[in-house]
Parts: sequence; C-alpha cells; structure tokens
Amino acid sequence: MGDILSRILTYIFVIIIYLFIYAIIRMIFLDIRAMNRKKSGSLAEAYLKLINLRRDLDFNMDESYELGDDEVIGRGNKCTLRLPDKYLSVRHCRIYKSDGSFFIEDLGSTNGTFLNGDELTDEAVELMDGDKISIGRLNFIFVMPKAEG
Amino acid sequence: MFSETSSIKPLFYIILINLLGAILISIQYGGINMEAIVLTGGICLVSIISYTIVFFAGLGDPYLFLIISVLGSVGCIMQTRIKPEYGIRQLKWFLLGTACYFVVMLGYRLLSRWLIKLLPLYLGLSLLLFIATQIFGKTSHGAKNWIEIGSLSVQPSEVIRILFVMSLAAIFTAKYPEKLEEKIKVRPQMMRLMAASAITVVSAAFLLLQREWGITLLFFATYFFFLYVYGASRLYLLINGLAAAAVAVVGATKVSHIKVRVDTWLDPFADASGKGYQITQSLFAIGEGGMAGRGIGAGSVYFIPEVHSDFIFSAICEEMGVVGGLAILMLYFVLVYRGFKIALSCTNAYNKAAAFGISFILGLQTFIIIGGVIKLIPLTGITLPFVSYGGSSMLTTFAACGILQAISGMKEELTDEIQ
Repeated sequence: MGDILSRILTYIFVIIIYLFIYAIIRMIFLDIRAMNRKKSGSLAEAYLKLINLRRDLDFNMDESYELGDDEVIGRGNKCTLRLPDKYLSVRHCRIYKSDGSFFIEDLGSTNGTFLNGDELTDEAVELMDGDKISIGRLNFIFVMPKAEG
Repeated sequence: MFSETSSIKPLFYIILINLLGAILISIQYGGINMEAIVLTGGICLVSIISYTIVFFAGLGDPYLFLIISVLGSVGCIMQTRIKPEYGIRQLKWFLLGTACYFVVMLGYRLLSRWLIKLLPLYLGLSLLLFIATQIFGKTSHGAKNWIEIGSLSVQPSEVIRILFVMSLAAIFTAKYPEKLEEKIKVRPQMMRLMAASAITVVSAAFLLLQREWGITLLFFATYFFFLYVYGASRLYLLINGLAAAAVAVVGATKVSHIKVRVDTWLDPFADASGKGYQITQSLFAIGEGGMAGRGIGAGSVYFIPEVHSDFIFSAICEEMGVVGGLAILMLYFVLVYRGFKIALSCTNAYNKAAAFGISFILGLQTFIIIGGVIKLIPLTGITLPFVSYGGSSMLTTFAACGILQAISGMKEELTDEIQ
C-alpha cells in the first residue's frame, strides 16, 4: 500500500518538476520575445524615446521603444511593452492607433500617466510628435517622424 | 501586485515539490518525520526570500535562483530519503550556500572594477591550495584531495576550479599583453596562449598527482574551450588536442587507477562483484527504476555504493525513473542556458569570459558525472552540482552562481566604464 502511494506521489512530484521547467521556459520565452521586438525592423511609424539618463536608473532600459498598433505598457508580463520600473502599475497605460493618429489612455494606474506634465483623466488623448510622456520614474518623448500636419 | 504576473508560479511549484517530498519521506519512515518538515520548510523559506530579494531589488536574472532551489530541493529530499542526518547537514550547506551566493554576488559587484587585475592573486591562491593539498591532503577513494580542518573536511580543488576560470578570463581579456608587446616583441595573442597553457599544465600536473582524473578533465576541457572561443589558431588547438590525447592514452595504459576505470567502463560485468561493482550496481538501479521509477522511498538505493555523493543520479533514476532523471537533466540544461545567455548579453569583456567559463564548468561537470554513472564515459568521481552531498561542492557552486547573478545584474553603462 505504502509503495503504491509513494509511487503515485512520485509521479506527481516529477510532473510538478516538469511544470516548473515549463513555467521557467515560458518566462524566458516571453523575455526573449520582448527583446527581439525591440530589435526587429525600424519601420515603425512611431516610437517612444527615453529621455532619462540611463545611468540614473537602477534597471536596464533601451534608448527607444517602437510602437505597434496597440500597446499596453506596464510591469506585468501580459503587457505588450514590459518595463521593469517598480513605480509602474502592472497594466499602466495604453497607446493605440486609430485613423492614422496615436492615442494614449491611462489604465487606472496607481501613480498616474502624465502628458506634457498634465495627469491624464479617464479619456484617451491624441499624441503629437514631440509630446512628453511620464510614467513612474520614466520620461519619454513620443516621436512620429512621418507625421503630417 | 505579484499575482498578476506569472512570476509567482515557479515559487508555487517549489513549495509543492517540497510538500510532496515531506509526505514521501514521512511515508518511507512510517510516520511524520520532523527532519523532513524542517528540511522542506527551510528550503521553501530560503527560496521565497531569495527570489523576492532578487526580484524586487532588481539584482538581475530571476531564473537562476529558482532553478537552483529546485535542484537543491531534490538533492535534500533524496539525501533525507537515504539518511535523515545527511538531509539535515545538506540543508545546512544549502543555507550557508545561499548566504555565500549573496555575499559573493555583492562582493563581485563591488570589486568588479579590479577583478580583471587580480590575476596574480588567483594564481597565488590556487598554488597555495594545491601545495596545501599536497602536504596536508587526506586520501579517500584513491584520490588525495581532502584537507581536514578540525572536524571539517574541505576539497580545495572545488575552490580552485573557480579561481581557474577567473584566471583564464583575466588572461584572455586583460590588455596587459598589448602594453608588454613593445618591450619583448611577442604577439599579444601568443603571450595569452602561452600563459593559459602554462597555468593549465601546472594545474593539471598537481591534479594528476592528487589522482583527480575528473577534475583534470574538467580543467583541460575548460582551457580548450577558452582557446577555441578566444580565437586560437586551428594548429594550436590541434597540438593541444593531440597532447591531451597522448596523455590520456599513456594514462589509460600505464596508470593502474585509470586503467581500471577504462576497463570497467568497457566491460563492467567482467568483474561485477569486484572492480566493476560500483558501475554495475548503478546500472542495475537505473534498470530497476525503468521509465517511471519505483517511487521515492520505495527503491533499494542502499545497494549503490557512494549513493549520497557521486551516485546520487542513479538513485534519482531508480526512484523517479528515466522521466525524473530527464527532468533533472533539463533543469541543468536551463541553468547552463541562462549562464550562456548572461555571458552573451553582458558587454564587459572580463565578465563575459567569467560567465562563459562558469556556465561551461557547471554544464561539463554535470556531463562528466552523469555520463559516468550511466556508463557513457569512464566513471570519475566528481560531484553533481547542488544535488550531491558535500559542503565544499555546495558552497563553491553557489559562489559560482553568485558570480553569474552579479554579472547578470550589472548595468550596461557601468560595465562599459570598467573597460
């Protein structure tokens, strides 16, 4: 009886080790995907340029982040743009494209999203080339090179 | 804030693994086993605290310590299953090792600017340890590799392997040979190769005197891969390969210790109750376990000699099956993968070399001992990182991973400045 029980528990034991390995590999995979996204192609219509001095931050950041059609920015790993700043919410804000222009909206973040120094309220605001976006300790310039008008 | 990210999941699995381990050991010893509860509880606590520190303080790669925790958990559970006292002592080493991990990590971060210039210190320390082993060494299982300090026995070659990696990294990345070039008219690359060869030959000579075949192989292979990575010419690689092959052939035919190892590797069943006893028992155990294993606590692991140290993998295979053994191998695979990833993404030349060397040593050591117990290569006594019983092995492997953690956590700008 004891033997069968320990055999069954051992199966579960081994399965959990595999689940652990799967969880780790999945986290690594998400990391790598996030890294590759930063490198691939420079054809994006718009990007966020970091204006903090990187040496003032105690974590690694890139100089710029390209923006796709719909980006959720935050600390959580379900975000399409993950940033490691502790002062960000898990889902902090969203930048999306609609009718050829980009909009930013706050997703109920704890520390707020600031556009040119003003805190965003519930509604989405259209972004213009050169706007300053501040989230957590990070400051970005929104750059849209081909913006017309 | 933790729960929204999946980063809590691995921790949850670690707790489950330890909980199941405690239940399994209690079943084995027929009743609630205090040792098992202390042990698994201790590991869970250490893992959670360490992971939280690494994660929230932004100390770099968050996966390293998680993987180490699982390997350590499996190790401690298996040790307790073999003998409860071993488990408790192993837990003590695990706790000390964790402390060592963070101390080494902080030390490395603080000293990173000077580490590349400390080559004489590494060499001096290594030499001192080698000589100390020669003079005070105790012989166990045909190898003179232990020093006893009071009631504590330490294996200096475990420390030397890290110093060896640091020395090779310093040799191949320091700019010193370029400065020296004008004076003595030797190409810098040539100087580096000569220096690396010289320290390898000296180390190998000492190790062979101590009859540490496994660690000699480890050192030589590390040296060889450093040569390959740092662009030694094909000719130089060939010369080194041939020299090593010549030494190996002479050793295998002339030195009786190595001859026995090779003979039992080729045909362990020729003398199954004598010289081939270790390896045949190991093979029987793995065969008994089959695909799914006999269950932790239900196997007959006491038939395997040295089951708590060198042959721990056979015990794992017997009780957790080939599937469980593969799981352990995959954990090592992910650990070494992370090590190489850290080496690739770091920008400072010295740190890159050190991370590469440490990851390589971890991977190769796993290969040598697992290859040995499954009769893939001749068996040599070397520990399985984080799982085998043993203080010096545990502490130094933790220290090595602490270095990896430190390198992964350094900021790019800072590492650039050091050069």
